[in-house]
Amino acid sequence: MRMSARPDIRLEGVAKSFGAAGRRIEAVAPVDLVLAGGQMTALVGPSGCGKSTLLRLIAGLDAPTEGRISIGAETPDALRRRAGLAVAFQDAALLPWRTVEGNVALGRALARKPRDPRAIRDLIALVGLSGFGRRRPAELSGGMRQRAAIARALAGEPDLLLLDEPFAAVDALTRDRLNAELPPLWEARGATSVLVTHSVAEAVRLSDRVLVLTPRPARVAADIAVPLPHPRNADVLASEDFRALCSDVTEALRVHQFPQSVAAQ
Amino acid sequence: MTTRRPALSRDPAPRAAARSLPRGSGPLLVLLLWEALARATASGFIIAAPSQIVHHLATHAELLLRALGTTGWAALRGFVWGNLAGVLLALAAVLVPRGERLLSTLALLVFCLPLVATGPILRVLYGPGAGPQVTLAALAVYYTTFLPVLVGLRAAPQGWFDLVRSYGRGRMTELREVRLPAALPYLVAGLQIAAPAAFLGAMVGEFTGAERGLGVLTVRALRALDLPATWSIAGLAAAVSMLAFAAVGWLGRRLDLAPPEVLLAPPVVRGRRAWSGLAEAALALGVTLLVWKGSMAVFGLPRFFARRPEDVWSYLVTAPGAGAQRQRLFAALGETLVLAVPGYLAGLLLGAGLALALALRPRLAGAVIPLSIALRSIPIVATAPLIVWALGRGATGSIAVVATMIFFPTLIACQHGLARTPRAVLDLFAVYDASPLLRAQLPAMLPAFFASARMAIPAAILAVTTAEWLATGRGIGALLATVASTSDYGMLWSAIALIGLASVLAHALLASVERRILSRTSAEQLAR
Ligand SMILES: Nc1ncnc2c1ncn2[C@@H]1O[C@H](COP(=O)(O)OP(=O)(O)O)[C@@H](O)[C@H]1O
Ligand SMILES: [Mg+2]
Repeated sequence: MRMSARPDIRLEGVAKSFGAAGRRIEAVAPVDLVLAGGQMTALVGPSGCGKSTLLRLIAGLDAPTEGRISIGAETPDALRRRAGLAVAFQDAALLPWRTVEGNVALGRALARKPRDPRAIRDLIALVGLSGFGRRRPAELSGGMRQRAAIARALAGEPDLLLLDEPFAAVDALTRDRLNAELPPLWEARGATSVLVTHSVAEAVRLSDRVLVLTPRPARVAADIAVPLPHPRNADVLASEDFRALCSDVTEALRVHQFPQSVAAQ
Repeated sequence: MTTRRPALSRDPAPRAAARSLPRGSGPLLVLLLWEALARATASGFIIAAPSQIVHHLATHAELLLRALGTTGWAALRGFVWGNLAGVLLALAAVLVPRGERLLSTLALLVFCLPLVATGPILRVLYGPGAGPQVTLAALAVYYTTFLPVLVGLRAAPQGWFDLVRSYGRGRMTELREVRLPAALPYLVAGLQIAAPAAFLGAMVGEFTGAERGLGVLTVRALRALDLPATWSIAGLAAAVSMLAFAAVGWLGRRLDLAPPEVLLAPPVVRGRRAWSGLAEAALALGVTLLVWKGSMAVFGLPRFFARRPEDVWSYLVTAPGAGAQRQRLFAALGETLVLAVPGYLAGLLLGAGLALALALRPRLAGAVIPLSIALRSIPIVATAPLIVWALGRGATGSIAVVATMIFFPTLIACQHGLARTPRAVLDLFAVYDASPLLRAQLPAMLPAFFASARMAIPAAILAVTTAEWLATGRGIGALLATVASTSDYGMLWSAIALIGLASVLAHALLASVERRILSRTSAEQLAR
C-alpha cells in the first residue's frame, strides 16, 4: 500500500535566505541535487555554512525561498504528514519532563506507530543507554542526550532519516562503536538518510556519497562517491581506498575554506 | 520521585556561625523584645504584646476558628474558579494568537478594578451569602495565574516544536506534548502566588457586609480599636496564607518539576507600530464598553445599581451637578495618586536595590529570601491598618503600605532575574576580576523587574484603596466606602471606570518605557 521505502530526494534550484531586505543572510545558494534512494549521503562543510538549514528544508520544517524539493513523488510536507521522516536534531531536543524511555517512545507515538516497549528497550540498548531508561535528560551528558535523540529518530521507523551532527558531543570511543553498530539498522530498513558531520572519517565511513559544501551560502564544492563495500569493517577502514577518500574530502574542504592558504602554496 | 535529584551539598560555614547561640534562642529573644516594646508603647495603641495576642487567641479560639473556616472555604472556592479561569484564558490566548493582545488587555483591565469598589456592587448583586467573597477571591487570583501560564505555554524552545512538526503533527499534539507540560511549573508558580491572594480577596469580600468570617472580625476590631484582636487576626491570616503558599510549593516539589526560568516575564511583541497600539487600545475600549453594557442587558440588571457606560458619562459630564461630582471624584483620585505613586516607586526601587545588594552579598540572601517569601504572602488587608497606625494617618503610613505590598514580589522577581545571568558570563567577569553587576547582572534582571512592575500596578491600587478605606479615611478608597454605604451607585461606577482607565494608562506607559529600555539591554527578550 505504501510506496517504496527508498525515496530519492530531488532538489531543484533550491535556495534559502533569512531576514528582511537590506539585512538578508543567504544561507543556501541555489542548488540542484538528487540524493539516491536508500543511500546515505554525508554533508560536510565549515560551521555556519548552511548544513542545518539544508536539512531543515529537506524535512519541510522551513520552506525554500526559491526552487522546489521532492522526496519520491511527494513534497516534504506530505512525507512529514504521514510521519515518513525523522530528524535527530543537533541539540537533541529531548523533552525534559520525559524519561529517556518516554522520549524514545514519543518517537513512535508521534509517528503513529503502535506501542512496542520491547523495540524501545532494544533501541535504548543499541545506543548504549541501558540502565538509563528511567533517567531524565537533565541527568545525562550531552553525548548521552544525542544518543537518546538518535534512538528516538529510529523509533518511528522512518523512510527518510535526517541526522544533524548526531555524534558531535559523543566521546570518541562511543562514537566509534555507534559508527559500527548503527548503520546496519538503517541499511536493513533501506531508509534514505542524510548525515551532517564535522568528522571526515565518519562521513566517509558511514556514507555512500560525501557532499562538501562551501562556506555560506552553501554550494556543493565537491561531490565524492564512496564506493567502499558494506559493511565497513576494520579491513575496509584500514584500506588504502578509505584513506585516499578521506584525504580527498579533507582537501576539498581545505581548498574551499581557506582559499588564500592554497594560493600561497 | 523526589529521590531522583542528587542532594545539594550545602556550604556548612554560615550555619555553623548561626549556631553559636543556643538553638531556638533567636525567636525567644524576638518575642521578649516584642513584649517589652509593646508594653513600653502601650499608650500609643500600635503594638499588641505577644502575651495579649496569645490571650486573645485562647479566649476567642472558637470564634476565630469558625471565622477562619468560613473565610478559608470562600477563599478555596475562589481559588479554584479563579485559577480555572486563568488557565482557560491562557489556553485561549495561545490557541487563538490573533486575539491574544485583546484578551490580555481585557484580563488586565478586569484585574485592575479595585476590589474595594467591585465588592459593594457584587454584594448588591448576590445579596447575602458567600457570593462576593468567592468572586473577589477568584478576581484576585486569575490574572497572576493567567500571566505565568501564558508565558509557560509559549516558553518552550523552538526545537521542541520542530520535533512535533517533523512528524507532521499539528497544534493539538503541540499543546499536549510540549506546551502543557512545559507550562506546568509556571502554573505551580502562579498557584503559589494565588494561594495567599485568594485569602486576601475573600477577606475584602467580607468587608462588604458579610455576616461571618475573618474580614468581618477585622472590621469589628478596627472600629473598636481592639489592638490584640487586630493583631491576632492579622497573625492568623498571615499564618494561613504562608501555609497555603508553602503547601503549593511542596506540591510543586512533589511533582518534581523543574522551576520555571522566568517568573512572570511579560509576553513581548515585536515590531509593533504606534498606531497599531492605539488601534488595539481603541478596540479594547470598545469591547469593554460592549461587554459592560451587554452583560447588564443580558442579565437584566436593574439600572438603579447596575449603571451602564452612558450613565457614567451623564453622571460625570452631562447631568445637572455633574461638575461638582466630577470635581469630588478627581479630587479623591488626586489624593490617592499622591500616595500611590511614591509608594509604588519606592517599593519597586527598594525591591530592585535590595536584590542587587544581595547579589553582592550572596550569604545574606540565604536569610533574606525565605523571609521575603513569607512576608509576601501576608494579606495586606490585615496588615495595612497596623502599618497606618504605626506610621500615622499622614502620607507616610499609606506610602509605606503601598511600598510594602510591592517590595517583596519585586525583590523575589529581581532575584530570579539576577539568577538568570549565565554562569559562563559570570565566570568570564571573574577571570578578569571585574564586577558583573552593571554589565551582566543588571541587564539580566531588567525583564523580571519590569514584569513585577506591571503586576505591581493593581497591587498598588489594592493597597492604597484598602489603607484609605480601613484606616486613613481619605482618597478614593474612602470615597468608595462612603458612596457604597450611601448607595450612591453613580459615583461608585464612575470611580471604578476611572480607576480602570487610569491603571490601563499606567500600564501602557510602563510598557513603552519597558520596550525602550529592554530593546537596548536585552534584545533576546524581544526576539521571540
Ligand atoms: N532562523 C534563522 N534566522 C536567521 N538566520 C539563520 C537562521 N537559521 C540559520 N541562519 C543563518 O544561516 C547560516 C547557516 O546556518 P546553519 O544552517 O545553522 O549552519 P550549519 O552549517 O552550521 O548548520 C548561519 O549564518 C546562520 O546564522
Ligand atoms: Mg548546524
